[in-house]
Amino acid sequence: MTVPADAVSGRRELVAGFVQRHGALAVLALSVVTASLVFESFASFDNASGIAIQSSFLVIVAIGMTFVIICGGIDLSVGSVFALGGVLAAYASRWGTLPALVVPLAVCGAIGLLNGVLIARLRLAPFIVTLASLLGARGLLLSITDEGASTYLVPRESSFVEIGRGTLWGLGYPVFLALALAALAGLVLQRSRFGQSIFAIGGSQDAAAMMGVPVARMKVLTYTLSGLLAGLAGTLNAARLGSGVTILGVGLELDAIAAVVIGGTLLIGGAGTISGTLSGVLLLGVIQNVINQIGNLGSSYQLVTSGAFLAVVVVVQTYLSRTQRLH
Amino acid sequence: MMARLRVLTGVSILLLTAASTLVGCTKGEDEVTPTSSAGEQVVATGGPGGPSCTLQQLGAPKLDLKDAIVGFSQSEKEANPFRIAETQSIQDEAAKIGVKKLLVTNAQSQLSKQISDIQDMLAQGAQFLIVAPLNSAGLEPALQAAAAKKVPVLTIDRKVNASPCKDYLAFLGSNFVEQGKRAADAMIKVTGGKGKVAILLGSSGNNVTTDRTNGFVDRVKAQAPGLEIVAQQTGEFSREKGQSVMEQLISSHPELTAVYAENDEMALGAVTALKTAGKNPGKDVKIVSIDGTRNAVQAIVDGTINAVIESNPRFGPLAFKTAQDFYAGVSIPGNVIISDREYDAANAKDSLGSTY
Repeated sequence: MTVPADAVSGRRELVAGFVQRHGALAVLALSVVTASLVFESFASFDNASGIAIQSSFLVIVAIGMTFVIICGGIDLSVGSVFALGGVLAAYASRWGTLPALVVPLAVCGAIGLLNGVLIARLRLAPFIVTLASLLGARGLLLSITDEGASTYLVPRESSFVEIGRGTLWGLGYPVFLALALAALAGLVLQRSRFGQSIFAIGGSQDAAAMMGVPVARMKVLTYTLSGLLAGLAGTLNAARLGSGVTILGVGLELDAIAAVVIGGTLLIGGAGTISGTLSGVLLLGVIQNVINQIGNLGSSYQLVTSGAFLAVVVVVQTYLSRTQRLH
Repeated sequence: MMARLRVLTGVSILLLTAASTLVGCTKGEDEVTPTSSAGEQVVATGGPGGPSCTLQQLGAPKLDLKDAIVGFSQSEKEANPFRIAETQSIQDEAAKIGVKKLLVTNAQSQLSKQISDIQDMLAQGAQFLIVAPLNSAGLEPALQAAAAKKVPVLTIDRKVNASPCKDYLAFLGSNFVEQGKRAADAMIKVTGGKGKVAILLGSSGNNVTTDRTNGFVDRVKAQAPGLEIVAQQTGEFSREKGQSVMEQLISSHPELTAVYAENDEMALGAVTALKTAGKNPGKDVKIVSIDGTRNAVQAIVDGTINAVIESNPRFGPLAFKTAQDFYAGVSIPGNVIISDREYDAANAKDSLGSTY
């Protein structure tokens, strides 16, 4: 009698395990199918390419966030760093395309490095350190834009704009870049020493240290990477907008964290995937798109709907991960 | 067990953060029922600056609005009277002239969302767009997407840094510099041109704030050198922020005799702060603001606010009339500036019906 029961629960565990790891993908697929059936304008190439380009910037930010969260930390500064990167890129674009890429990356990377050093070497809480740099980066942004009153424009003839606006097969360049970065990040996370160290640190920092993982160095690297990626996303976005908009990125860190957690990465660290994060970001994009497809929902109800949707996804995943762990 | 507990804690932290952002943004508002016919917008000038625009010049296909899908992109949550009245007015007018389908999106104060909102509506087949831009810069990708599909874009209430009749059809709205100047005139009148005034600024990086500040400051400098501007702080157009900034100003500048608030919500916050501090708003400290919401005009009647310059949000009738004219072959000026009213102790009571 026990054999079939074991086999059943074994299979169930396998399915539950798969769905938990790819829960976001499952919910994403379900949402896409449902939305295509309900709204005739949803399943068009135009709409899909729209969702893709809109999501590409958040994907880049969320990749960095995935590394940070797996490592057992959090990075609240990414929204401000994203905005700062955009403003710096627009400012530097007057000197050419290369400065427009290098300046924001250097500054944003430095902010990430500072986060990492404070967290790893001085052992300060990531939440507080990155909250401080959230404020600091926003302040820096305001100081170089006269309290946000001046918006730097990218020169119209600059080839920098092409990076954000160019398209290939109807899809924007940022989409391809985001996908390439996601693939690379997935490889690094699963196949490299750096990736494995991050998992070890997130699982148990002490155990990782005893195994000889250079904990501090890996953490510094992780936060630097997160700052760099947020800056890169801001830079690409500025190229697309053609200006360094000062009001961007408020609350972006929460979107990134939400996407990462929806993607099955544990908020306590030690487990997670880039593919999950990718599904998480797309899911957020699809929710937004579906709300617009409904077409006439009051702004308060839009918030209620997206909040409720998020809650359902997280509850389903928690339930699935619980059945798996109980066994 | 521990692991499970930790997962649950993690999830609840996430939900709490999400919940607090949701709750944090929604403010309690007094219900305002917009009166449709009273307070309709009147065009002041078919404006200088920018060429006129015809169907042929913009290269848009001819359209009957009754068979058309029209999209409206609102910039901020309908959490203040201006936005409530604006969205309502567009919806009412669309229903009145029988537009086939009106799509309404709300960017929730996020520029990237406004871009995707506009792209989403284009993907849904919108043939004419009315956009209330969140920011004067940064909407280029959305405008380009509309232009690529030959969909005319009418911007209302805020202007974008782009060329009318090329990147967009035209702009309908108030002259914010002029509003600032008129607020200065009203302030000079109620203070007698003497005293110390504080400015509650709107959100930074916003051209409405810049224009309303410049108009006010320039006019005060030119006309009333006795009126000294002693402080300028941002109240971010919100009542709570206006109140807390006012509380700080009362203690750092106890000598204040006047406040210029760049919108009504901040003025109402300032009234509360002054009352709490034992001052007499409207008498010890004169208050002038901009918008013309029902609550602020009622405050004039009650004597706590001295004057309000209107910024009329009822864009529906004018926006759809402009669209109809455009498709009927009429040339549309690039800037359509509306004329705004002014409320003070003399007319506040009788004008309550035209407020929003």
